[in-house]
Amino acid sequence: MSRTRSASRTEPEAELIELRDVHQRFGAVAALRGAGLSLRVGEVHALLGENGAGKSTLLRVLAGLQAPDRGELSVRGRVVHLHTPRDAWDEGIGLVHQHFTLVPRLTVLENLALGVRGPSGGWRGGMRLPLEHVAQRAREVAAATGLAIRPNEVVERLSVGDRQRVEILKVLLREPRVVALDEPTAVLAPAEIERLLALLRQLAASGRTVLIVAHKLDEVLSVADRVTVLRAGRTVLEAERASVNARLLADAMLGQEAREAYDNAPVLGRGSVVGGNHRVQARPGHTECIACLERVEVWPAGEAAAAEDPGAEISLDVHRGEIVGVAGVEGNGQRELALVLSGRRAPVRGRAVLPPDPAFIPQDRSREALARDFDLAENFALALHRQGPWRHGPLLRWSALRTTSEKLLTRYRVLAEGTHALARTLSGGNQQRVVIARELEAGHDLLVAENPTRGLDLAASAFVHGELARLREGGGIGIVLLSTDLDEVLTLADRVFVMVRGRLLEVPAAERTRSGVGELMLSASAAADEGVEKEAWPGDA
Amino acid sequence: MKGWKRKRGQAMLERRLPVGVLRWVGATGLAAGALGLTLLAAGVVLALGGYSPLRAGTALVSGALGSPDAFLSVTLVRAVPLVLTGLAVSLAFRAGVWNIGAEGQLYAGALLGAAVGLVSPGLPAPLHLPVLLLAAGLGGALWAAVPALLKTKLGVGEVVTTLVLNFVALNLTSWAVRGPLQENRGIFPQSDQVAEAARLAPLWEGTRLHWGFPVAVAVAVLLWWVLKYTPVGFRLRAVGAAPNAARVAGRIRVKPLTLGTFLVSGMVAGLAGGVEVAGVTYALYEGLSPGHGYTAIAVALLARLNPLGVIISGTLFGGLEGGAGAMQRDVGIPAAWVRVIQAFVILSALAIERWVRARPHSVFVHPPSAPGGAP
Amino acid sequence: MSELLAPFFEASVRLGVPLALAALGETITERSGVINIGLEGSIIAGAFAGALGALAWGAPGGAIAGLMAGGVAAAVFAFFALGLGADQIITGTAVTIGGLGLTAAAYETRFGPTGTALSLPTLDPLPVPLLAELPLLGRALFAQPVTAYAAYLLAPVLWWYLQRTAWGLELRAVGEEPCAAEAAGVAVVRTRVFATLFGGAMGGLAGVHLSLAHTATFAEGMSAGRGFIALAVVVLGRWNPLGVVAAALLFGAASALQFSLQALGLNLPYQLFLALPYLLALLALAGWVGRTRAPAALGQPWPAGR
Repeated sequence: MSRTRSASRTEPEAELIELRDVHQRFGAVAALRGAGLSLRVGEVHALLGENGAGKSTLLRVLAGLQAPDRGELSVRGRVVHLHTPRDAWDEGIGLVHQHFTLVPRLTVLENLALGVRGPSGGWRGGMRLPLEHVAQRAREVAAATGLAIRPNEVVERLSVGDRQRVEILKVLLREPRVVALDEPTAVLAPAEIERLLALLRQLAASGRTVLIVAHKLDEVLSVADRVTVLRAGRTVLEAERASVNARLLADAMLGQEAREAYDNAPVLGRGSVVGGNHRVQARPGHTECIACLERVEVWPAGEAAAAEDPGAEISLDVHRGEIVGVAGVEGNGQRELALVLSGRRAPVRGRAVLPPDPAFIPQDRSREALARDFDLAENFALALHRQGPWRHGPLLRWSALRTTSEKLLTRYRVLAEGTHALARTLSGGNQQRVVIARELEAGHDLLVAENPTRGLDLAASAFVHGELARLREGGGIGIVLLSTDLDEVLTLADRVFVMVRGRLLEVPAAERTRSGVGELMLSASAAADEGVEKEAWPGDA
Repeated sequence: MKGWKRKRGQAMLERRLPVGVLRWVGATGLAAGALGLTLLAAGVVLALGGYSPLRAGTALVSGALGSPDAFLSVTLVRAVPLVLTGLAVSLAFRAGVWNIGAEGQLYAGALLGAAVGLVSPGLPAPLHLPVLLLAAGLGGALWAAVPALLKTKLGVGEVVTTLVLNFVALNLTSWAVRGPLQENRGIFPQSDQVAEAARLAPLWEGTRLHWGFPVAVAVAVLLWWVLKYTPVGFRLRAVGAAPNAARVAGRIRVKPLTLGTFLVSGMVAGLAGGVEVAGVTYALYEGLSPGHGYTAIAVALLARLNPLGVIISGTLFGGLEGGAGAMQRDVGIPAAWVRVIQAFVILSALAIERWVRARPHSVFVHPPSAPGGAP
Repeated sequence: MSELLAPFFEASVRLGVPLALAALGETITERSGVINIGLEGSIIAGAFAGALGALAWGAPGGAIAGLMAGGVAAAVFAFFALGLGADQIITGTAVTIGGLGLTAAAYETRFGPTGTALSLPTLDPLPVPLLAELPLLGRALFAQPVTAYAAYLLAPVLWWYLQRTAWGLELRAVGEEPCAAEAAGVAVVRTRVFATLFGGAMGGLAGVHLSLAHTATFAEGMSAGRGFIALAVVVLGRWNPLGVVAAALLFGAASALQFSLQALGLNLPYQLFLALPYLLALLALAGWVGRTRAPAALGQPWPAGR
């Protein structure tokens, strides 16, 4: 570590890492088509791009998890080849993954020690498990960075924010010169984001290089020294922070064509990219209540602290012609609420009055919405096979199902090889079109959408937002939109709720801003935290 | 990219022929590939063992197909229990149920069926045979009910429980033929012969082929039809292919469906035992099945879990087992080699299934729901 | 009483040792996220190769041959299930069918169709001085063949390996969350292959115990489902080597019951005693699953979604 620090003082502007002309293809998809990136010592560098622009792939290349088809990586001017994560560490590159890579049933300390070998290496390194050594080092790093963790807690009992701190600590223990973070803010509440960004600045100040990947501009603009923008697998912009603004970056990220398509799309949600908030006024006249929860508890008893919390009862009315938005950090009970509202799960306690056949767009497209190895007609049949037109007495009418499938594929402009194509051959955006087409064909009065744009590129997101807005205008259907993307909720929803530890809190109209919702989350979780004793570093020092 | 290029040629084919036909062509090609790999491996092993693969093959084929009688009395007679147990396994695997207990369920069916068949006076003659077959199905279903309930009620994986119950069933049969069901003479560990009225008549006089064969074919056609055209069959396939999507998108209740499939699978395997007793042995023996319930896995996989395909692959294995007897007589190769060949077939089928999964764009090959995917 | 109990305990250990060896191996395999139903194939391969090896080089040579044969059977499993990513359960079943068939066929080829009763050099009991003289349990525990001592020794060693070494931690991580292990620089497939080969070799050793220590002969299908019972033993022992050995001895006792109860003159059908270990396995699974958690990635192919 000391070596790195001294280097940073002598040559502050040195190019530490250079990635040039990286190409990577996955089957029919070209994820990277000439991407490049250069990192300097002691800077916070932001890597920006739309979903699907290739950011994650480029990070995987940098972390040794993916050997690219073509391209060159040099560290301090020396060309290196990374084949495994270990190769990347040896070059001082550490990656904090977007989906955490902790083993839930091991303790924090065991997770920190995973993959660490003693200095002797080889046979003796494999025999020894340096738990005390790792604990000592973790204590030091925790004290230096303020990353409070509980070493002997089993990881599966930690909150999302705590897991991220463990993940960062795990990377820091390896004394990296470069700390790369993949979408680290996606899972955090606004207050936690502030803390994280402060930590990143601190790391850079101590001589490390920080690479942060994001698709939200405002967060990274406040912290980055330099930015690189990827679009469709190519590096389209590399600039000092001072020389760019949000507008310019958005243009670079979207590109001319996509931008025009986006502008022409019938969408409400423009603010989700450039940061502005077009809020829709609550609509008068939506009177008929079509779904109604009365004092419903969604968390199974004993699963979380909230189970003993008498406030964790949810009452909610959904009316035709409105979008009810539910924001919140992942893992606060939104998943369970979505399952109850869509009739997929009975509430633990309380009463849920629902219309027949609620439509449901689950978050996990490839596992829960679609059968990957079924063809498209069979996937349509999943939701349609109980209903009149597709049944002939007790039998299925495959000819009618195929006809309907073809009609829907055309109407929703799904790019597919036909109704016989397997679901897994479709891109994420086209899969989501299939799901929406099917659910709207099958469902009638209520649509529950759970993170419907996660992982989709801009055009696909715009399509989804446009569909939701169109349905709301039609007035015949009530919509519940649960999303961890706060901007999405704020722009689309008529009424906004926040979910914190199994409670559903309504956001007053006056506070429907990012900061307003953030404060509400913070106060609610602080209230729930009260009295919970924490054994933590460096608090015991 | 490659997938799209291949697609153009396929699109031309698709215009001329229905996709269903193309998939049959593909499935046949894959089965032929699996068999080819197997024959190659078997030939190499036999040559290493000092035998002539050619002579062995000739003896095997002539034993299975050499004369009308060989085909009807040996191959097809042996095919009957293999088709039925193969169907039991196919059905279960299609629903993602790892029933490796067809052997035990077959014995349970044979036991209950034989017990009914031995009731000499008391049942009207036209009813005796149907009641025997029903009892056999019931026996198999009861034997399958244990792992099925353990799986759906307690969450116990069915692999070990079905395997272990096979051994329990063997011991139960061993006790029955030495105890309550032993022949009146009390000499051999076997039962008396079942009543004439409870037997399956020969299909053609002078051959040993009995009405069990059309019964097995009928069951296969019925299961194929149920899987393809009924909602419950579709749900069963959905649960096997993607349990989470079935539950969330299809709003299918997985557990009752799993339970039902397990019981029907056991019933079909039990029927195989009943058909053996009523059509071939007329009595209950300890060695009634030389491992049909295990061979069934190879039969099912070679047919890619398609019930109609099971008729063909079951017949093929019937010929293999029948021919192996001839091979042992004529060339002196132990019949146990057939087991090795079965293992080769399963492994080849698995390897080919992996090859299929890497080609999602092909119209020829369509993954069946279960094997090769995540369990 | 003790003249009745001492032989019972001795038989319990003798019958429990092969289960313990196979289940210890399978414990390591399963902790890496692989379920190997082909263990039964490894056991029979070990028994047969042990017999051949003992004829050629004496009992110790047989033991080594059996160990390696068990590993070879597991290597076939590893090639298809881990190399090609085929389904683990079906692959394991195929290896078991193939192992049983191949040994039966080779036995018939080598020793004739009637299968002349073999008489093999044996792994004789090695009484431990002093300890073997202890009353009641002395001879049961300490006058056993070398395979029993291997099981006693391996239980704590494997526990220490899993809990106290960097390799063990990596193995556990691979079985729980292979993605996380990969990101931490652990070679997932390699770890699983080693764990599988170790499990197979242990199965082979269990087979050696059957042919060279337990019976001094080989018979077709002499593994008699012990590989499957070992899978239940692993569950009952909660994937912990110490618990697994205890569970294996419990199953040994269940199998030994038939001799003792016959000695007592109880007139129950002997098939009931033969079936007892299988029924016990069923009961153990029914009563135990739900109170214990299998490795999270058990049976899952890697890389996922292949």
